[in-house]
Amino acid sequence: MALQIKLPRVGKDARLGLALALPVALIMGGLVFLPLLSTLFDSLFRIEPMKPGTPFVGLRNYSNLLKDSTVNAAWITTAIYVVLAVVIETVGGLAAALLLNRLRVGRRWLLAIVVLPWCLPPVVNAIIWMWIYNPSYGLLNGLLLGAGIIDTPQVWFNNRETGLLLISVVHAWRMMPLTVIILLAALQSIPAELYEAARLDGATALQRLRKITLPLIAPGLAIALSQSTVFAVNLFDEAWILNGASLDTRSVIIQVYVLAFQNMKFSGGMALSVLTMVVSLAVSLIYVLRVYRETRFE
Amino acid sequence: MTRRFKHLPGQIGLWLGVALLVLWSVGPVYWSFVTSITPPNALVSNSLHLWPEAATWQHYAKLFGANSTSQGNEVASVWPQFSRAFANSLITSLAATALVVIIAAFGAWAFVRLQFPGRDVLFVLVVATLAIPAYTVMIPLYRLMISLGLIDTYTGVTLIYVSAFLPLALWLMRSVYQAMPLSLEEAAWLDGASKLRAFVQVVLPLAGPGLVACGILTFLSAWGQFMVPLVFSPTLATKPLTVLIPEFVTRNYVDYGLMNAAGIVAIAPPLLLVMFLNRYLVSGLMAGAGK
Amino acid sequence: MNRRHFLLSASVLGLAALAPTLALSAGALAVLLPPWVTLPKEMTDTYKGGGLDIQTLGWDEIRTKIVTSMLANTAPASVTEMDWSWVGQFGSAGWYDPLDALLSDELKADLPTTSIFTYDGKLIGVPYNNDFRVLIYNAAHLTQAGVGVPKTPAELLDAARAVKAAKIADYPIALPLSASEGAATAWYLLTKAFGGDLFDADFKPLFTDPASAGYQAMAFEIAALNEGLIDPAATSLKDVEVQELFKAGKATFDVAGWAGNLAVYTDPAKSQVAADVAAALMPNVNGKSRTFGLPGALGIPANAENKEQAAGFIQWMLEPATMEANYRLLGNLPTRLSVLKTLNEAGNLKQGDVLIAQAEVVEPLFAQGTPGWYPEFSGAVATALNVAAKGQLTVDQAVAQIADAAAVAQE
Repeated sequence: MALQIKLPRVGKDARLGLALALPVALIMGGLVFLPLLSTLFDSLFRIEPMKPGTPFVGLRNYSNLLKDSTVNAAWITTAIYVVLAVVIETVGGLAAALLLNRLRVGRRWLLAIVVLPWCLPPVVNAIIWMWIYNPSYGLLNGLLLGAGIIDTPQVWFNNRETGLLLISVVHAWRMMPLTVIILLAALQSIPAELYEAARLDGATALQRLRKITLPLIAPGLAIALSQSTVFAVNLFDEAWILNGASLDTRSVIIQVYVLAFQNMKFSGGMALSVLTMVVSLAVSLIYVLRVYRETRFE
Repeated sequence: MTRRFKHLPGQIGLWLGVALLVLWSVGPVYWSFVTSITPPNALVSNSLHLWPEAATWQHYAKLFGANSTSQGNEVASVWPQFSRAFANSLITSLAATALVVIIAAFGAWAFVRLQFPGRDVLFVLVVATLAIPAYTVMIPLYRLMISLGLIDTYTGVTLIYVSAFLPLALWLMRSVYQAMPLSLEEAAWLDGASKLRAFVQVVLPLAGPGLVACGILTFLSAWGQFMVPLVFSPTLATKPLTVLIPEFVTRNYVDYGLMNAAGIVAIAPPLLLVMFLNRYLVSGLMAGAGK
Repeated sequence: MNRRHFLLSASVLGLAALAPTLALSAGALAVLLPPWVTLPKEMTDTYKGGGLDIQTLGWDEIRTKIVTSMLANTAPASVTEMDWSWVGQFGSAGWYDPLDALLSDELKADLPTTSIFTYDGKLIGVPYNNDFRVLIYNAAHLTQAGVGVPKTPAELLDAARAVKAAKIADYPIALPLSASEGAATAWYLLTKAFGGDLFDADFKPLFTDPASAGYQAMAFEIAALNEGLIDPAATSLKDVEVQELFKAGKATFDVAGWAGNLAVYTDPAKSQVAADVAAALMPNVNGKSRTFGLPGALGIPANAENKEQAAGFIQWMLEPATMEANYRLLGNLPTRLSVLKTLNEAGNLKQGDVLIAQAEVVEPLFAQGTPGWYPEFSGAVATALNVAAKGQLTVDQAVAQIADAAAVAQE
């Protein structure tokens, strides 16, 4: 019966499908793909306003980047940000989502509270944390001194490792709610009967988490992981406002900004931003593929 | 071992977790609030006060008052700019949210349920744009917006927001539709409804919570945007709060109090939205799937 | 029902927002300025050249905006702010119109800082907003410690030691040492205080020899830090944050003080030391004070519309009445010496005698005009200085690293 209805309508379906996808194609094509192609094209020329002419240089902008030790250091810094931020966001976000899912009273309010950091515009977020990390009047020093954990005020950004961690914490603080929302939505779609059945079978909480929860929220987890990775690769505001262009904490996107807008080596900056895009694409692709492969149990 | 006895540690752990989560989420915002009601010269005092010794509303007065003082001079308050920027933020964020939700609601369904040429390629390409840094497309986009005459218009900024936040919404909505059994729609087809009609009447209402989630994500992302409006909204005609707030850094003086006050006000609309729409978010998905 | 209602209202809002927005003040002259030049109505009422469309952006953002628009071949506005440090880049890119014809000889003589905005012999920005470095100190600290106002870097160190010994301030010298522009400019200033310059006429580095002023200036900073005269936290503090220390009475000397900052320091609502703040000429090893200027200027982009109107606006900004109002209402220090003197005679300039004496000896940081590679060079200076301050590089290594960076930036 159902087959009879589905098959003859393919032509009509295709037209409807195209009509509904048209706005998507138009907006994304015009405002993202066209500019992107234009940037790809530009990155093959030497576009440096301080030098006359814009000669074609092929891939030299890219090969110059590979040789640049500052750029390589920025890649390493960004990799550290990604690992720290993704771990904090995913572990913390999953814990928060599970907690919210178990909560029967006041879940709505707790969720609103959890989402609060994400409501803050990044600009405001960074100002708040700059003030918290302030070496002279900051809350962090004040609390740690008060608790007796440290005995002199610390200059947090003097130490590279501390600086990277603190910047990652600010980033994770802001981005975690996104992970929580995505995972909570996924958790809500798991039928309660499954847990009931598992409990009757004598499964422990940890077993239920591993055998039921994680596989069933895997698509949500893939979205959450990909978005947190992509956002961490593109980390800019937090590091820029908290520690400026300091080499210790300079992410790749800060390097793009410094190259293109500060040093006016525009095409070099564009080439680096293209590489950044390729890297975050590749990393999220790996997540998505792995998560889908591991959970293809049907 | 009785059930109740076994659950007690769990309950304690649960509420400990809740307390921790609240502290982590609210702590910094609370501190920002405290900063916003601390007088400027007390901000640089030696001792730490979790509540200011002499609370002041002077920073808020500067935002909302008719006039205020700066460097000993009577100066115009920032209220005309602030209120305008606030409205601009609201308008562009809401417009982007509405467009994203509508386009994603229909588009994602088409990607899931309809066969059409180029479907999978388009979907993969669109989702892949999530990985594009804003700087990559900034300058060509600027050229494009100039030629379309869309610089400093709500339309221009809104369209850019839509292009930036549509991919995540499409992805999210696709997984929502995928999780729904096809039988729901098939029943409507048997009743003679067209595919589109079956979708609008049967599927769409059930997808409400997913749409609300998309809406919240888009609104919050748009509300916090900085780089896009910085370049595309040069004047107060469309300039949002996020671009206005850093201007409170005057040349010789970083007004932490004023910036924190502005930040606190800037959190309000998204927070209200989340509190109001949370109900849909939480109750929705289960109810929809159950029936 | 609720959901449909939500969708409906959402779509209505979307349509409303997409309706064409009304064009604001068509034909008005677009001017792009930093927030501290948000001209109040009282001032713009005296401008008779037609409508004004004043756009303000935060400091870091102005540059991003100008670069983005110029790369896209459009003018960011008909008149824009131009910082002294952008002159080389914007000049070599040919982005700004020459403005020499705008100024009479008389006016040029009244504006000692025009040389800073001259690129390749052409004036591409007209200075309207003055700033230069001056020594700002806490007079009460010095009186308590029983020392006089220092005139040389060595006296500065002695005075700081006396203040520290008397336990008046733990870290008497406020100097930023983070990897930021403020730290780099402080080093440039100290290089002048040690009687030298950064580069020779061919932009060859002059700071690598241990006897050179630049080398000694850096050694001075590191030694003062190691001796405990500078707060160890300074390695992560920017200029504005160091100034907070001074305002809180925790430091005696704001060595690289901004002339324009005196108004903030003497404001009791913002400073805990308002009554004790005083300024002095920048100390120098040769006894004759040297300093450099960091003024703001106005320029006209090469592809601007309304160039005539734009020139008229710039001239209006230079009128004595406008400059006085700009200082009185917004605290922006005039660039014209004659206006500074008028203000001082009327008793409206805080520490006016010192400011005018210092303003008269203001030099550009680069006698040849700020080169295009300045931002890249300055970034390298800030980084090397910061690493040296943290003890990870010696002064020798740091200046060598800076010289290398200068060579790379210049190629």
